[in-house]
Amino acid sequence: MNEDPANHFEDELRRRLRPVNAPEGFTDRLMAALPAQQKPVVVPFTPRVRPSSHPVGIPAALAASLLVAVLFGVRVADHRALVAEQTEQRKGLEASRKLMQALHVTSQKLDLAFEAVNNPPTAGDEENRS
Amino acid sequence: MPDSLLAQARAGDRSAFAALVRAHQGSVFSIGLRMLSRRDAAEDLAQDVFLQLYRKLDSIESLEHLGFWLRRVAANLAIDWLRRLPYSATRPLDEGAEVAAPQAEEDPLMSRELLRLLGELPPHPRAVMLLRYQEDRDVAEIAATLDMPVNTVKSHIKRSLTALRGRMIGAKLVDCEELP
Repeated sequence: MNEDPANHFEDELRRRLRPVNAPEGFTDRLMAALPAQQKPVVVPFTPRVRPSSHPVGIPAALAASLLVAVLFGVRVADHRALVAEQTEQRKGLEASRKLMQALHVTSQKLDLAFEAVNNPPTAGDEENRS
Repeated sequence: MPDSLLAQARAGDRSAFAALVRAHQGSVFSIGLRMLSRRDAAEDLAQDVFLQLYRKLDSIESLEHLGFWLRRVAANLAIDWLRRLPYSATRPLDEGAEVAAPQAEEDPLMSRELLRLLGELPPHPRAVMLLRYQEDRDVAEIAATLDMPVNTVKSHIKRSLTALRGRMIGAKLVDCEELP
C-alpha cells in the first residue's frame, strides 16, 4: 500500500480537527438571551401633543422679528425724510428773509435817490453849508 | 434537516430556531475555540454569531446558505476579536479545553500538540486551516468565506501544512518518513 505521506498528514489533521461539542446548556442560554419578539411590532400612529417648548415657535419668532425690523426701518426712513424737509423749510425761510432784507435796503436807497433827484439842494443851502 | 425548519424559524418559531442552533452550534463553537483558544471566549463568540443570525434570518436563503453564513460570520468575528485582544489574552489551548470525543487509536498528546501549534498560526492562516480541515471546505469556498483570493488561500494552506509538519517532527510527534 503506497500512501502519499502529505495526504496522510492532511487526513490526520481532519481527524484531529473534528468539531467539538458546544458546552452543555448552550442552546438554552442562547434562547434565553434572544429578544422577546423577533418581528417588529407595528404600533398604530397616534399624533402626539406638541410640548410648549416645541421648535414650532421659532419660525413665528423669526417672522415677528422680521416685521419689527421692517417697521423700525420704515419709521427711521420717515424720520429722516421729515428732518430733511424741515431743514429745507428752514433754509427757504432764511433765504426769503435775506431777500426781503435786501429788497428793503434797496428800496431805501431808491427813495434817497428819488428824493435827491426831485428836490435838489438850493444856493442858500449851499452857503449855509459852507 | 428539512428546509421547512428554516422557513418556520423565519416565521418566528423559536423551537425551529433552537433546532437550527443545535445543528450548527458544534461547528461554530469549534471555530471559536480553535481560533481564540479559550472556551469562555468561544462560547461568547458562538452566542454572538447566533444572535446575529436571529436578527438576519430573513436574509438566509437556504440551509446551505445558512452553513456558509455561520462559518463566515464566526471566522471573521474571531479574526476581528484576535485583532483587538492583546496577545496575552489568548494562549494555546489549555487543559480541558478540548472536548472532542476521543477515538481509541488517537494519541491525545499529539492532538493537544497539534492544536497548540495551530493556535500559534496568525489569525488568517489559522482560519483557513480550520475551514479546510475542520469544516472540510474547498479553497474556493474558503476564499469566499474570508474574502481573500483563491491563490492566497492555497498559499496559506501550503505554508501552514509545512510549518505544522515541521514542528510536529521537531516535537517527535510525526515520523520523518511521513515527509513527502
